[in-house]
Amino acid sequence: MLPENSKINEMARLKKLQKIDPPRNIRLKFRKVGSLQYTSHLDLQRTFNRVIVRACIPVWYTKGFNPHIKLVFSTPLSVGAQSECEYLDIKIDREMSCGEIMERLNHELTEELCITDVYYPIDDFSEIGYAEYDMKIHTVGNSEKMAEDIKKILITSPLMLTKRTKAGDKEIDIIPLIKSIDVRYSSDEDTVNINTVLRASATEFLNPEMLVTALKNSLGILSTDLSKEWYEIVRKEIFKEDMAVFR
Amino acid sequence: MNKEISSILKSVSKPGRYSGGEYGQIIKDKNSVKARFAFCFPDTYEIGMSNLGMRILYGVLNEQEDVWCERVYTPWVDMQEKMKEYDLPLTACESGDELREFDMIGFTLQYEMSYTNVLNMLELAKLPLRSSERDDSMPIVIGGGPCAYNPEPVADFFDLFNIGEGEEMLPELCRLYIQMKEEGRYTKEAYLHEAARTITGIYVPSLYDVSYNDDGTIKAYAPKYDDIPTKVTKRIMTDMDRSYFPSKVVMPYIETVHDRIMLEVFRGCIRGCRFCQAGIIYRPVREKSPEVLNDQAKCLFESTGYDEISLTSLSISDYTELEALTEQLLEWTDDNKVSLSLPSLRVDSFTKELMDKIASVRSSSLTFAPEAGTQRLRDVINKNVREEDLMRAVGVAFAAGKNTVKLYFMNGLPTETYEDIKGIATLAEHVIDAYYKCPERNRSQKPQVTISVSCFIPKPFTPFQWEAQDSMETLAEKQEFLRTQITDRKIRYTYHDARVSRVEAVLARGDRRLAAALELACREGFKFDAWDECFDYDRWISVFERCGIDPAFYANRAFGLDEVLPWDIIDCGVTKEFLRRERDKAYAENTTPHCREKCSGCGANKLGGEKTCCPKIAK
Repeated sequence: MLPENSKINEMARLKKLQKIDPPRNIRLKFRKVGSLQYTSHLDLQRTFNRVIVRACIPVWYTKGFNPHIKLVFSTPLSVGAQSECEYLDIKIDREMSCGEIMERLNHELTEELCITDVYYPIDDFSEIGYAEYDMKIHTVGNSEKMAEDIKKILITSPLMLTKRTKAGDKEIDIIPLIKSIDVRYSSDEDTVNINTVLRASATEFLNPEMLVTALKNSLGILSTDLSKEWYEIVRKEIFKEDMAVFR
Repeated sequence: MNKEISSILKSVSKPGRYSGGEYGQIIKDKNSVKARFAFCFPDTYEIGMSNLGMRILYGVLNEQEDVWCERVYTPWVDMQEKMKEYDLPLTACESGDELREFDMIGFTLQYEMSYTNVLNMLELAKLPLRSSERDDSMPIVIGGGPCAYNPEPVADFFDLFNIGEGEEMLPELCRLYIQMKEEGRYTKEAYLHEAARTITGIYVPSLYDVSYNDDGTIKAYAPKYDDIPTKVTKRIMTDMDRSYFPSKVVMPYIETVHDRIMLEVFRGCIRGCRFCQAGIIYRPVREKSPEVLNDQAKCLFESTGYDEISLTSLSISDYTELEALTEQLLEWTDDNKVSLSLPSLRVDSFTKELMDKIASVRSSSLTFAPEAGTQRLRDVINKNVREEDLMRAVGVAFAAGKNTVKLYFMNGLPTETYEDIKGIATLAEHVIDAYYKCPERNRSQKPQVTISVSCFIPKPFTPFQWEAQDSMETLAEKQEFLRTQITDRKIRYTYHDARVSRVEAVLARGDRRLAAALELACREGFKFDAWDECFDYDRWISVFERCGIDPAFYANRAFGLDEVLPWDIIDCGVTKEFLRRERDKAYAENTTPHCREKCSGCGANKLGGEKTCCPKIAK
């Protein structure tokens, strides 16, 4: 399976195999949690470049003066958010099974950043419509009441927030961008747990951090004692416009 | 990662600096190891992660099964504010444990301006700053790196220093520590004495008394025991082919300064530029063989996936087997899309052949360091480079389509005149002329020459160690004069802040009496003094004043040739007589041939060494 002696020899061996033309698209589904939530998109890109080389994946390089690996990521994930379902498309130009690609990559990764599925892409990234998130909020004085307060804020339109765009700041109502929301208090960790599906298409995208911003603004939580209050955001699933699971 | 710190990380810049969890980090069971070592780099994560020495020593220490070495960097200012607000101590990257739990804390001293960060980190670790105030229950604090060659300004804060190369010394220190703990005879005092007595290269400042003359100069160093060395001899790795080199490294997720494979080709430098400390303290030159280097490079490529290999050494083109090495590397690097880079080029060895091999260098710019504007001054500093060499080198670069050249110079060198400064501008103009004279030049672009001028700082263990630094007023005048000499808009001119250079000179040539100032600086919150946005000259002067220290005594005074120097307690292999001879030759405007041309008897060969150009001496 994995090259035992020399990866350089392995790459040379792969190069001698029959070339696939045009190169084949491969979709990697990966997890990005824990420490990796602080890794930015650009840093992640650089990391995958190296991981792919270390793993001896027969990846296709762009032609031209400065050949590089073509990496196409799906929906952006903001720094500070975790995810169970990130997607990355690569191209290979030599035969290798999806199972082997996954095994090779995971050999070069850690628990906090690892591949959970490898397959030939079915859907196009442009078909993505929604993303589901689990959010946990721990505040001082958490209770059933807090859960109710939070829910009320997140379902009452209009909820105006400033959205930063390339064209400048813009005031928008975020409620229409929330497809569904469920808020409960959990005594296990003394947290308010939110499960929500947010708009995530190329033209309409709601960053889950905006929900936190709304709560900070309205309830004054998560802004005073950072050592006692915390929150986490985990992206759970990506859906198409018709709410079928994205593949 | 604990959830409590997650909110804090979400509120600071570049949280990836503090989150840890890198691929390649070494995790051990803290309950089963016998010594825990916190390797501290007193600057940001991005800078520390780029340091080759730290990569090597992290690997060396963790090779020892019962020792766990972790990494620690200085949290940036915004993170420190949060740590203060929430009373969080400084912790190590791997375990997240606080520094007080460690057996040993090692600081690498790469530049003097990081001293305030060292103290700042001890304070964040909630440890007393002074060695004398730390008891047997606290970690041993160790210093090493190039600045340890004059450890005196920070001597009171450290329990011991490693003088020289640490690959063997650090494991030996750990073994001794573990042994004394196991035998139940560990006390800090006994340990320090034993280390100074039995391990070559260990300097324990508390075991030496310093006395002073009435004029403020040092009278003598007196060892407290007669079984410890009167002069601490630096340690070297004699055979670089057999010296430990890491086969894997911790892979940062965030971008660092040198995010690539660093292949150390040799140690030392044959040149002997008279202002250069590195050129003396790393002597004798010891090369690695191309086969060993090629294997190490392959191994690192396979374990990292980096797409760039930087051949790092002081003057890389002086490597005797550079051609064999690049040929071996190119056999596999091209196919694997790995590019080679050479960070340090001498103009006299810059050729078309060499540039073709590093053709994958994407930037259009090349950097050379003539250091001085006239041949006279270049002879004084023994920078054996002629204007013809520079013109030939830039000609090669221009012919290959490059259009920007960066030139490094220094202001304030001994014997410098305004004629020499004018020469800097003239040289830059000649480079512009060379561009237009080059028929193969890139005709679609204009040339650009950047001249970057730093200030001369007299450094210990150099032929110029006795020289006075120019006053700030003089340096400012010289900088301004050079500005008036530059008329061509294709020449960009930048220069270093003379105020930083002055404080650096004080710290570089200081003695133990500076401890009071550094301690006060730390108490007043000084940190990141190597960063322009944090450095405040007036506050430094105020600190010196309040501690009764005259910065001019250390920076702007010509030290007496017979004076006992603060760093005389250290023997770096090169003799004081050699440095004196070199100083005399500088004033006579005479050059010294490089080591391979002719041995000048610097004395470093007494330390031994394989694959060196030094004549062997009988042991």
